[in-house]
Amino acid sequence: MTRLDPDLDRLAGEYVLGLAEGHEAARAERLIETDDAFGRAVASWRGQLGELDALAAPLAPPPDLWARIETGLDAPAPAAATPQAAAAPIPAPLVTDRVNAFKALWRSLAFWRAAGLAGAFAALLLALGLPAYLGRVERPVYVAVLLGNANEPAAVVNAFADGRAELIPLQAVDVPRGRSLEVWTISDPGQGLVSVGVLDRARTVRLDLRSLPRPGANQVFAISLEPERGSPTGKPTGPVLMKGVTSPTL
Amino acid sequence: MFSWSGEPIVQTHALGQDDIAFDVNETLRRCAGGDRAALRAIYDREAARMLGIAMRLLRRRALAEEAVQDAFVQIWRKAASFDPTRGDGRTWIYAVLRNRALNILRGESRTDLVDDFEPMALASEDDDPEVLVGKLSDAGALKRCLGRLETDRRQAIVLAYVHGLSHGELAGRMGVPLGTAKSWIRRSLVTLRECLG
Repeated sequence: MTRLDPDLDRLAGEYVLGLAEGHEAARAERLIETDDAFGRAVASWRGQLGELDALAAPLAPPPDLWARIETGLDAPAPAAATPQAAAAPIPAPLVTDRVNAFKALWRSLAFWRAAGLAGAFAALLLALGLPAYLGRVERPVYVAVLLGNANEPAAVVNAFADGRAELIPLQAVDVPRGRSLEVWTISDPGQGLVSVGVLDRARTVRLDLRSLPRPGANQVFAISLEPERGSPTGKPTGPVLMKGVTSPTL
Repeated sequence: MFSWSGEPIVQTHALGQDDIAFDVNETLRRCAGGDRAALRAIYDREAARMLGIAMRLLRRRALAEEAVQDAFVQIWRKAASFDPTRGDGRTWIYAVLRNRALNILRGESRTDLVDDFEPMALASEDDDPEVLVGKLSDAGALKRCLGRLETDRRQAIVLAYVHGLSHGELAGRMGVPLGTAKSWIRRSLVTLRECLG
Protein backbone atom coordinates (compact mmCIF):
# COMPACT_ATOMS: atom_id res chain seq x y z
CA MET A 1 0.00 0.00 0.00
CA THR A 2 1.02 3.61 -0.41
CA ARG A 3 3.20 4.59 2.49
CA LEU A 4 0.92 6.33 4.95
CA ASP A 5 2.37 8.94 7.27
CA PRO A 6 3.86 6.79 10.07
CA ASP A 7 2.02 8.73 12.75
CA LEU A 8 -1.27 8.08 11.01
CA ASP A 9 -0.46 4.42 10.53
CA ARG A 10 0.35 4.25 14.21
CA LEU A 11 -3.00 5.90 15.00
CA ALA A 12 -4.74 3.37 12.74
CA GLY A 13 -3.05 0.53 14.62
CA GLU A 14 -3.87 1.95 18.03
CA TYR A 15 -7.45 2.49 16.93
CA VAL A 16 -7.80 -1.13 15.83
CA LEU A 17 -6.14 -2.33 19.05
CA GLY A 18 -8.73 -0.33 20.97
CA LEU A 19 -6.06 1.92 22.43
CA ALA A 20 -7.01 5.21 20.78
CA GLU A 21 -8.72 7.24 23.44
CA GLY A 22 -11.08 10.19 23.45
CA HIS A 23 -10.10 12.72 20.84
CA GLU A 24 -7.70 10.28 19.17
CA ALA A 25 -10.47 7.75 18.66
CA ALA A 26 -12.79 10.45 17.32
CA ARG A 27 -10.03 11.61 14.99
CA ALA A 28 -9.49 8.07 13.74
CA GLU A 29 -13.21 7.68 13.09
CA ARG A 30 -13.27 10.91 11.12
CA LEU A 31 -10.21 9.91 9.11
CA ILE A 32 -11.74 6.54 8.23
CA GLU A 33 -14.54 8.43 6.51
CA THR A 34 -12.41 11.09 4.85
CA ASP A 35 -8.96 9.66 4.17
CA ASP A 36 -8.75 6.62 1.91
CA ALA A 37 -5.14 5.84 2.83
CA PHE A 38 -6.04 5.91 6.50
CA GLY A 39 -9.07 3.72 5.83
CA ARG A 40 -6.86 1.20 4.06
CA ALA A 41 -4.41 1.22 6.98
CA VAL A 42 -7.27 0.51 9.40
CA ALA A 43 -8.56 -2.28 7.14
CA SER A 44 -5.07 -3.73 6.95
CA TRP A 45 -4.62 -3.76 10.73
CA ARG A 46 -8.10 -5.24 11.15
CA GLY A 47 -7.33 -7.95 8.67
CA GLN A 48 -4.01 -8.84 10.26
CA LEU A 49 -5.06 -8.69 13.91
CA GLY A 50 -8.35 -10.38 13.03
CA GLU A 51 -6.47 -13.65 13.06
CA LEU A 52 -6.58 -13.36 16.85
CA ASP A 53 -10.38 -13.10 16.75
CA ALA A 54 -10.55 -16.36 14.86
CA LEU A 55 -9.09 -18.05 17.95
CA ALA A 56 -11.91 -16.99 20.26
CA ALA A 57 -13.87 -19.98 21.52
CA PRO A 58 -17.47 -19.77 20.26
CA LEU A 59 -20.14 -19.41 22.94
CA ALA A 60 -23.72 -20.48 22.28
CA PRO A 61 -25.93 -17.39 22.40
CA PRO A 62 -28.91 -17.56 24.76
CA PRO A 63 -32.16 -18.58 23.01
CA ASP A 64 -33.71 -15.16 23.43
CA LEU A 65 -30.84 -13.17 21.94
CA TRP A 66 -32.28 -13.10 18.44
CA ALA A 67 -35.63 -11.90 19.80
CA ARG A 68 -33.81 -9.11 21.64
CA ILE A 69 -32.06 -8.12 18.42
CA GLU A 70 -35.37 -8.06 16.54
CA THR A 71 -36.81 -5.78 19.19
CA GLY A 72 -33.88 -3.47 18.51
CA LEU A 73 -34.54 -3.60 14.77
CA ASP A 74 -38.12 -2.55 15.36
CA ALA A 75 -37.09 0.48 17.36
CA PRO A 76 -37.13 3.75 15.44
CA ALA A 77 -34.20 4.22 13.10
CA PRO A 78 -31.60 6.78 14.15
CA ALA A 79 -32.68 9.43 11.67
CA ALA A 80 -36.27 9.40 12.82
CA ALA A 81 -35.66 9.07 16.51
CA THR A 82 -35.98 11.70 19.18
CA PRO A 83 -34.84 11.37 22.77
CA GLN A 84 -37.22 9.30 24.84
CA ALA A 85 -39.84 11.21 26.72
CA ALA A 86 -39.17 9.56 30.04
CA ALA A 87 -35.50 10.32 30.18
CA ALA A 88 -35.50 13.37 27.98
CA PRO A 89 -35.00 16.70 29.59
CA ILE A 90 -37.23 19.49 28.41
CA PRO A 91 -35.31 22.00 26.35
CA ALA A 92 -35.57 25.01 28.57
CA PRO A 93 -32.93 27.68 28.32
CA LEU A 94 -32.92 29.20 31.74
CA VAL A 95 -30.37 31.85 31.03
CA THR A 96 -31.23 35.48 31.01
CA ASP A 97 -30.08 38.64 29.44
CA ARG A 98 -30.64 40.54 32.64
CA VAL A 99 -27.53 42.08 33.96
CA ASN A 100 -28.11 41.15 37.59
CA ALA A 101 -28.60 37.54 36.69
CA PHE A 102 -25.41 37.62 34.75
CA LYS A 103 -23.62 39.07 37.75
CA ALA A 104 -25.00 36.40 40.02
CA LEU A 105 -23.98 33.64 37.68
CA TRP A 106 -20.62 35.15 37.14
CA ARG A 107 -20.05 35.57 40.84
CA SER A 108 -21.04 32.01 41.46
CA LEU A 109 -18.48 30.90 38.94
CA ALA A 110 -15.80 33.19 40.20
CA PHE A 111 -13.26 30.41 40.45
CA TRP A 112 -13.27 30.23 36.68
CA ARG A 113 -11.47 33.49 36.59
CA ALA A 114 -8.67 32.07 38.63
CA ALA A 115 -8.24 29.46 35.99
CA GLY A 116 -8.17 32.11 33.29
CA LEU A 117 -10.91 30.59 31.23
CA ALA A 118 -11.43 33.27 28.67
CA GLY A 119 -12.94 30.87 26.17
CA ALA A 120 -15.48 29.75 28.68
CA PHE A 121 -16.35 33.40 29.28
CA ALA A 122 -16.99 33.92 25.61
CA ALA A 123 -19.16 30.83 25.46
CA LEU A 124 -21.04 31.97 28.51
CA LEU A 125 -21.74 35.33 26.91
CA LEU A 126 -23.08 33.50 23.90
CA ALA A 127 -25.30 31.37 26.08
CA LEU A 128 -26.56 34.45 27.89
CA GLY A 129 -27.47 35.95 24.57
CA LEU A 130 -30.02 33.24 23.88
CA PRO A 131 -33.35 34.92 23.35
CA ALA A 132 -35.56 32.18 24.67
CA TYR A 133 -35.57 33.23 28.27
CA LEU A 134 -38.59 31.74 29.96
CA GLY A 135 -38.29 31.58 33.70
CA ARG A 136 -37.65 33.89 36.56
CA VAL A 137 -34.15 34.64 37.54
CA GLU A 138 -32.87 32.44 40.25
CA ARG A 139 -29.54 31.77 41.78
CA PRO A 140 -28.16 28.24 41.73
CA VAL A 141 -27.17 26.86 45.10
CA TYR A 142 -24.59 24.56 43.56
CA VAL A 143 -22.56 24.86 40.38
CA ALA A 144 -20.49 22.16 38.72
CA VAL A 145 -18.08 22.89 35.90
CA LEU A 146 -17.72 19.76 33.80
CA LEU A 147 -14.25 19.37 32.36
CA GLY A 148 -13.53 17.55 29.14
CA ASN A 149 -10.76 15.07 28.49
CA ALA A 150 -8.19 17.83 28.08
CA ASN A 151 -9.41 19.42 31.32
CA GLU A 152 -11.06 22.17 29.34
CA PRO A 153 -14.35 23.54 30.69
CA ALA A 154 -16.99 21.81 28.62
CA ALA A 155 -20.29 22.52 30.39
CA VAL A 156 -21.79 23.98 33.55
CA VAL A 157 -24.48 22.44 35.71
CA ASN A 158 -26.41 24.87 37.88
CA ALA A 159 -28.46 23.21 40.62
CA PHE A 160 -31.27 25.14 42.27
CA ALA A 161 -32.67 24.81 45.77
CA ASP A 162 -35.94 23.25 44.58
CA GLY A 163 -34.22 20.30 42.89
CA ARG A 164 -34.23 21.73 39.40
CA ALA A 165 -30.94 21.94 37.57
CA GLU A 166 -29.80 23.16 34.21
CA LEU A 167 -26.99 22.11 31.95
CA ILE A 168 -25.27 24.78 29.88
CA PRO A 169 -22.74 23.46 27.37
CA LEU A 170 -19.64 25.56 26.78
CA GLN A 171 -18.41 23.78 23.71
CA ALA A 172 -19.87 21.81 20.85
CA VAL A 173 -19.63 18.04 21.16
CA ASP A 174 -19.19 15.82 18.15
CA VAL A 175 -22.10 13.39 18.48
CA PRO A 176 -21.97 10.69 15.78
CA ARG A 177 -25.20 9.77 14.04
CA GLY A 178 -27.23 7.35 16.02
CA ARG A 179 -25.62 8.34 19.28
CA SER A 180 -26.67 10.67 22.02
CA LEU A 181 -25.28 12.38 25.08
CA GLU A 182 -26.46 11.12 28.44
CA VAL A 183 -26.17 13.14 31.62
CA TRP A 184 -25.40 11.30 34.85
CA THR A 185 -25.11 12.16 38.49
CA ILE A 186 -24.30 10.39 41.71
CA SER A 187 -26.59 11.70 44.41
CA ASP A 188 -26.48 8.57 46.50
CA PRO A 189 -23.10 6.81 46.49
CA GLY A 190 -24.85 3.54 47.27
CA GLN A 191 -26.86 3.86 44.11
CA GLY A 192 -23.99 4.93 41.84
CA LEU A 193 -24.60 6.81 38.63
CA VAL A 194 -28.16 7.75 37.78
CA SER A 195 -29.25 9.07 34.41
CA VAL A 196 -30.81 12.51 34.50
CA GLY A 197 -31.26 13.14 30.81
CA VAL A 198 -30.52 12.14 27.24
CA LEU A 199 -29.59 14.79 24.66
CA ASP A 200 -29.26 14.62 20.92
CA ARG A 201 -26.49 17.21 21.05
CA ALA A 202 -24.86 19.60 23.45
CA ARG A 203 -27.51 22.20 24.23
CA THR A 204 -28.84 24.05 27.21
CA VAL A 205 -31.42 21.93 28.96
CA ARG A 206 -33.21 21.54 32.24
CA LEU A 207 -32.32 18.43 34.19
CA ASP A 208 -34.95 16.94 36.41
CA LEU A 209 -33.39 15.95 39.70
CA ARG A 210 -36.60 16.05 41.67
CA SER A 211 -36.80 12.31 42.06
CA LEU A 212 -33.33 12.38 43.61
CA PRO A 213 -32.14 13.69 46.94
CA ARG A 214 -31.49 17.44 46.97
CA PRO A 215 -28.22 18.28 45.27
CA GLY A 216 -25.26 18.70 47.54
CA ALA A 217 -21.63 19.70 47.43
CA ASN A 218 -19.17 17.42 45.63
CA GLN A 219 -21.97 15.76 43.70
CA VAL A 220 -20.62 14.20 40.53
CA PHE A 221 -22.10 15.14 37.17
CA ALA A 222 -20.86 13.49 34.00
CA ILE A 223 -21.83 13.19 30.35
CA SER A 224 -21.18 10.06 28.34
CA LEU A 225 -21.67 9.13 24.71
CA GLU A 226 -24.44 6.55 24.44
CA PRO A 227 -26.72 4.86 21.92
CA GLU A 228 -29.26 7.32 20.61
CA ARG A 229 -31.97 6.48 23.10
CA GLY A 230 -29.60 6.47 26.03
CA SER A 231 -27.71 3.71 27.74
CA PRO A 232 -29.55 0.39 27.49
CA THR A 233 -28.07 -0.76 30.80
CA GLY A 234 -28.88 2.18 33.04
CA LYS A 235 -25.15 2.80 33.50
CA PRO A 236 -22.74 4.54 31.15
CA THR A 237 -21.70 2.27 28.31
CA GLY A 238 -19.76 4.76 26.19
CA PRO A 239 -16.82 7.04 26.84
CA VAL A 240 -17.24 9.77 29.45
CA LEU A 241 -16.82 13.05 27.60
CA MET A 242 -16.85 15.40 30.57
CA LYS A 243 -17.34 15.34 34.27
CA GLY A 244 -17.17 17.56 37.31
CA VAL A 245 -18.39 18.00 40.87
CA THR A 246 -20.62 20.63 42.43
CA SER A 247 -19.42 23.44 44.63
CA PRO A 248 -21.78 25.58 46.73
CA THR A 249 -22.29 29.15 45.54
CA LEU A 250 -21.60 32.01 47.88
CA MET B 1 -8.26 -12.70 6.51
CA PHE B 2 -9.96 -14.70 9.20
CA SER B 3 -9.62 -18.39 9.50
CA TRP B 4 -12.46 -19.86 11.45
CA SER B 5 -12.16 -23.18 13.15
CA GLY B 6 -15.05 -25.39 12.18
CA GLU B 7 -14.99 -23.98 8.70
CA PRO B 8 -12.55 -24.71 5.95
CA ILE B 9 -9.33 -22.87 6.73
CA VAL B 10 -8.73 -20.52 3.89
CA GLN B 11 -5.67 -18.50 3.07
CA THR B 12 -5.18 -15.87 5.71
CA HIS B 13 -4.68 -13.23 3.05
CA ALA B 14 -6.67 -12.11 0.09
CA LEU B 15 -9.88 -13.72 1.21
CA GLY B 16 -11.82 -11.42 -1.07
CA GLN B 17 -12.72 -13.91 -3.75
CA ASP B 18 -13.47 -17.02 -1.73
CA ASP B 19 -17.07 -18.05 -1.34
CA ILE B 20 -17.34 -17.41 2.39
CA ALA B 21 -16.48 -13.75 2.02
CA PHE B 22 -18.69 -13.50 -1.04
CA ASP B 23 -21.60 -14.81 1.00
CA VAL B 24 -21.10 -12.27 3.72
CA ASN B 25 -20.86 -9.37 1.27
CA GLU B 26 -23.95 -10.54 -0.58
CA THR B 27 -25.81 -11.12 2.66
CA LEU B 28 -25.00 -7.61 3.84
CA ARG B 29 -26.35 -6.29 0.54
CA ARG B 30 -29.60 -8.13 1.27
CA CYS B 31 -29.64 -6.66 4.78
CA ALA B 32 -29.33 -3.21 3.26
CA GLY B 33 -32.38 -4.07 1.15
CA GLY B 34 -34.38 -4.84 4.28
CA ASP B 35 -34.18 -8.63 4.16
CA ARG B 36 -34.33 -9.70 7.78
CA ALA B 37 -33.67 -13.32 6.90
CA ALA B 38 -30.27 -12.21 5.65
CA LEU B 39 -29.42 -10.76 9.04
CA ARG B 40 -30.63 -13.96 10.64
CA ALA B 41 -28.30 -15.90 8.35
CA ILE B 42 -25.35 -13.83 9.58
CA TYR B 43 -26.54 -14.38 13.13
CA ASP B 44 -26.77 -18.14 12.68
CA ARG B 45 -23.33 -18.22 11.24
CA GLU B 46 -21.44 -15.71 13.34
CA ALA B 47 -23.22 -15.02 16.63
CA ALA B 48 -21.44 -17.72 18.65
CA ARG B 49 -18.01 -16.54 17.53
CA MET B 50 -18.99 -12.94 18.12
CA LEU B 51 -20.15 -13.78 21.63
CA GLY B 52 -16.83 -15.51 22.30
CA ILE B 53 -14.90 -12.44 21.16
CA ALA B 54 -17.12 -10.11 23.18
CA MET B 55 -16.69 -12.31 26.23
CA ARG B 56 -12.90 -12.14 25.99
CA LEU B 57 -13.15 -8.36 25.94
CA LEU B 58 -15.92 -7.82 28.46
CA ARG B 59 -15.61 -10.79 30.83
CA ARG B 60 -19.24 -10.58 31.83
CA ARG B 61 -21.83 -12.61 30.02
CA ALA B 62 -24.60 -10.00 30.20
CA LEU B 63 -22.34 -7.32 28.75
CA ALA B 64 -21.01 -9.63 26.05
CA GLU B 65 -24.57 -10.49 25.00
CA GLU B 66 -25.44 -6.82 24.98
CA ALA B 67 -22.47 -6.09 22.73
CA VAL B 68 -23.54 -8.78 20.26
CA GLN B 69 -27.14 -7.60 20.39
CA ASP B 70 -26.15 -3.97 19.72
CA ALA B 71 -23.73 -5.06 17.01
CA PHE B 72 -26.48 -6.82 15.06
CA VAL B 73 -28.77 -3.82 15.30
CA GLN B 74 -25.92 -1.64 14.00
CA ILE B 75 -25.08 -4.12 11.24
CA TRP B 76 -28.71 -3.94 10.15
CA ARG B 77 -28.85 -0.17 10.22
CA LYS B 78 -25.46 0.42 8.65
CA ALA B 79 -25.51 -2.38 6.10
CA ALA B 80 -26.21 0.11 3.32
CA SER B 81 -23.00 1.95 4.21
CA PHE B 82 -20.88 -1.19 3.93
CA ASP B 83 -18.61 -0.79 0.93
CA PRO B 84 -17.16 -4.09 -0.33
CA THR B 85 -14.42 -2.21 -2.15
CA ARG B 86 -13.06 -1.04 1.20
CA GLY B 87 -12.73 -4.42 2.91
CA ASP B 88 -14.57 -7.69 3.23
CA GLY B 89 -17.90 -8.11 4.92
CA ARG B 90 -16.79 -10.36 7.71
CA THR B 91 -14.03 -7.96 8.76
CA TRP B 92 -16.62 -5.19 8.75
CA ILE B 93 -19.03 -7.17 10.92
CA TYR B 94 -16.32 -7.93 13.43
CA ALA B 95 -15.20 -4.31 13.46
CA VAL B 96 -18.76 -3.28 14.36
CA LEU B 97 -18.76 -5.83 17.17
CA ARG B 98 -15.35 -4.82 18.50
CA ASN B 99 -16.24 -1.13 18.46
CA ARG B 100 -19.40 -1.81 20.39
CA ALA B 101 -17.67 -4.06 22.92
CA LEU B 102 -14.82 -1.59 23.41
CA ASN B 103 -17.28 1.25 23.94
CA ILE B 104 -19.00 -0.78 26.63
CA LEU B 105 -15.66 -1.69 28.16
CA ARG B 106 -14.25 1.82 28.11
CA GLY B 107 -17.48 3.35 29.30
CA GLU B 108 -17.39 1.20 32.37
CA SER B 109 -13.73 1.22 33.18
CA ARG B 110 -12.90 4.80 32.37
CA THR B 111 -15.59 6.62 34.21
CA ASP B 112 -13.67 6.10 37.45
CA LEU B 113 -17.13 6.46 38.87
CA VAL B 114 -18.55 2.99 38.69
CA ASP B 115 -17.58 0.83 41.60
CA ASP B 116 -18.63 -2.56 40.34
CA PHE B 117 -15.88 -2.78 37.76
CA GLU B 118 -13.93 -5.94 38.27
CA PRO B 119 -10.22 -5.64 37.68
CA MET B 120 -8.95 -7.78 34.86
CA ALA B 121 -8.23 -11.29 35.93
CA LEU B 122 -6.97 -13.78 33.42
CA ALA B 123 -8.46 -17.08 34.34
CA SER B 124 -7.65 -19.84 31.93
CA GLU B 125 -4.60 -20.88 30.01
CA ASP B 126 -6.41 -19.79 26.87
CA ASP B 127 -6.15 -16.25 28.13
CA ASP B 128 -2.36 -16.38 28.23
CA PRO B 129 -1.15 -14.23 25.35
CA GLU B 130 1.79 -16.52 24.62
CA VAL B 131 -0.49 -19.56 24.38
CA LEU B 132 -2.77 -17.63 22.06
CA VAL B 133 0.07 -16.51 19.79
CA GLY B 134 1.23 -20.14 19.70
CA LYS B 135 -2.15 -21.10 18.27
CA LEU B 136 -1.92 -18.66 15.39
CA SER B 137 -1.46 -20.23 12.01
CA ASP B 138 2.17 -20.88 11.17
CA ALA B 139 1.31 -19.92 7.62
CA GLY B 140 0.13 -16.44 8.60
CA ALA B 141 2.29 -13.36 8.83
CA LEU B 142 0.92 -12.32 12.20
CA LYS B 143 2.54 -15.12 14.15
CA ARG B 144 5.89 -14.57 12.48
CA CYS B 145 5.76 -10.81 12.96
CA LEU B 146 4.60 -10.93 16.58
CA GLY B 147 7.54 -13.27 17.09
CA ARG B 148 9.86 -10.42 16.23
CA LEU B 149 8.70 -8.42 19.22
CA GLU B 150 10.17 -8.82 22.66
CA THR B 151 7.97 -10.95 24.91
CA ASP B 152 6.61 -8.07 27.01
CA ARG B 153 5.69 -6.04 23.99
CA ARG B 154 4.13 -8.95 22.15
CA GLN B 155 2.01 -9.65 25.20
CA ALA B 156 0.99 -6.02 25.45
CA ILE B 157 -0.27 -6.01 21.86
CA VAL B 158 -2.19 -9.25 22.33
CA LEU B 159 -3.69 -8.23 25.68
CA ALA B 160 -4.82 -4.92 24.22
CA TYR B 161 -6.47 -6.51 21.21
CA VAL B 162 -7.89 -9.66 22.73
CA HIS B 163 -8.79 -8.54 26.24
CA GLY B 164 -9.23 -4.84 25.63
CA LEU B 165 -6.64 -3.68 28.13
CA SER B 166 -6.12 0.08 28.06
CA HIS B 167 -2.70 1.74 28.14
CA GLY B 168 -3.12 2.23 31.88
CA GLU B 169 -4.09 -1.38 32.47
CA LEU B 170 -1.18 -2.58 30.35
CA ALA B 171 1.20 -0.40 32.34
CA GLY B 172 -0.17 -1.79 35.59
CA ARG B 173 0.04 -5.35 34.40
CA MET B 174 3.54 -4.98 32.99
CA GLY B 175 4.75 -2.99 35.96
CA VAL B 176 5.99 -0.09 33.84
CA PRO B 177 5.07 3.60 33.78
CA LEU B 178 2.20 4.65 31.54
CA GLY B 179 4.51 6.46 29.13
CA THR B 180 6.61 3.34 28.74
CA ALA B 181 3.56 1.22 27.96
CA LYS B 182 2.46 3.74 25.33
CA SER B 183 5.86 3.84 23.66
CA TRP B 184 6.08 0.02 23.68
CA ILE B 185 2.83 -0.11 21.79
CA ARG B 186 3.87 2.58 19.33
CA ARG B 187 7.22 1.02 18.57
CA SER B 188 5.69 -2.43 18.36
CA LEU B 189 3.19 -1.14 15.80
CA VAL B 190 6.05 0.26 13.71
CA THR B 191 7.87 -3.08 13.89
CA LEU B 192 4.71 -4.97 13.01
CA ARG B 193 3.96 -2.73 10.07
CA GLU B 194 7.47 -3.19 8.69
CA CYS B 195 7.06 -6.93 8.99
CA LEU B 196 3.45 -7.26 7.86
CA GLY B 197 3.91 -4.84 4.99
